[in-house]
Amino acid sequence: MKLSIIPSVFASAGVLATVLSLAPSPGFAQSARNGAQPSSQTPRAQAGPGGGMLIGPEGDKEAVPPPSGPTPRLSSGKPDLTGIWFAPKTIRGEPPSMTPWAEQILKSRNSKDDPEAHCLPAGVPRMTPYPYKFVQIPTLLIMLFEANIHSYRQVFTDGRKHPDDPDPTWYGDSIGSWDGDTLVVDTIGFNDKFWFDFAGHPHTEDLHITERYQRPDLGHLQIQITIVDPKAYTKPWIINRVSNLATNWEIHEYICNEFNVDTEHIVGR
Amino acid sequence: MKASLLAGLSFLVWVAPLPAHHSFGAEYDANKPITVKGVVTKFLWVNPHSYLYVSVKDEHGNAVGYAFETSSPNALERRGWTRHAVKEGDQVTIEGYLAKDGAKLSDGSIHANARSITLADGRKVFAGSSADDGGPAPK
Repeated sequence: MKLSIIPSVFASAGVLATVLSLAPSPGFAQSARNGAQPSSQTPRAQAGPGGGMLIGPEGDKEAVPPPSGPTPRLSSGKPDLTGIWFAPKTIRGEPPSMTPWAEQILKSRNSKDDPEAHCLPAGVPRMTPYPYKFVQIPTLLIMLFEANIHSYRQVFTDGRKHPDDPDPTWYGDSIGSWDGDTLVVDTIGFNDKFWFDFAGHPHTEDLHITERYQRPDLGHLQIQITIVDPKAYTKPWIINRVSNLATNWEIHEYICNEFNVDTEHIVGR
Repeated sequence: MKASLLAGLSFLVWVAPLPAHHSFGAEYDANKPITVKGVVTKFLWVNPHSYLYVSVKDEHGNAVGYAFETSSPNALERRGWTRHAVKEGDQVTIEGYLAKDGAKLSDGSIHANARSITLADGRKVFAGSSADDGGPAPK
């Protein structure tokens, strides 16, 4: 049922608009650097507890909605996921079913020790709330993250297999194949160092993640993520995410370690 | 299908993705709001968080330094900021939250998180950070 619910959500423009409006976000805001024209649509970001709808000092850089149009296609005829994507909104389903080991690890963790707070990678599938760029050719998809320590992932779509014994890494080894118009990204070879979230949900080096990418139109990217790690979770953990095309944005430099002065003051929990 | 859709939506949790690389609640105390009025001594346009330094007169007339964490330059820029938006000598009023640990930064400044800044001309603007971590589980 999960599979059929999510496309239904996006098939309903009204529902989508409602859901998006519930998430006050900088997602569609225009960059002063990019010189975009203000419009008067999406609500502005909420400043936090007790905050109001505020904008920056240089004026009202109002949001523009993602563009409409047909799905762009590669020379191979498959959907082209190229673009700058933003407002990654994660649709979290039911809580994961953890093994006793995972529950114990989660309980013992304190967010002051979160590797991401120390400018280490957020890994997969955690996303930082910054834009990311996809560059795709028929044999390769490159994911460039503005944040997530300003790093990248490579998804090989040239038919290769995973290495027999990949070195454990923060982003793992990713290969992609097509299921109709869905790009299925299979990733193994993760290290166990990154956390899935602030709370500290853990995983092991046996982590296996499958991401199903769809671009149903020009302006939206839908991703279904399945997390399998039997030592940590008793059944597959499925989450869904949608990002919007940021037509007038560019990704910018983000060197996290440049001035990370506050980490020592994180109390945690 | 309609019933199924509604049932599915009831499980959705949407969280505002405001830029941060650490949890607000892990570092700052929502129960310790502060409002200070002072003079900008420095504005660091730097990652992962920009910092606004302000000199504030206490009740005895002594200058007290505050360091307010704001969002990152990229996130601020997308909200309509530039690195020239606030400069040394500007009079500002800042609303924010004190750090949980109560400790000062290494330069002696009182450590806090800015949510909004009222500029000398009266405009109240966004400065904040933190919120969603983009992870699969809720906080």
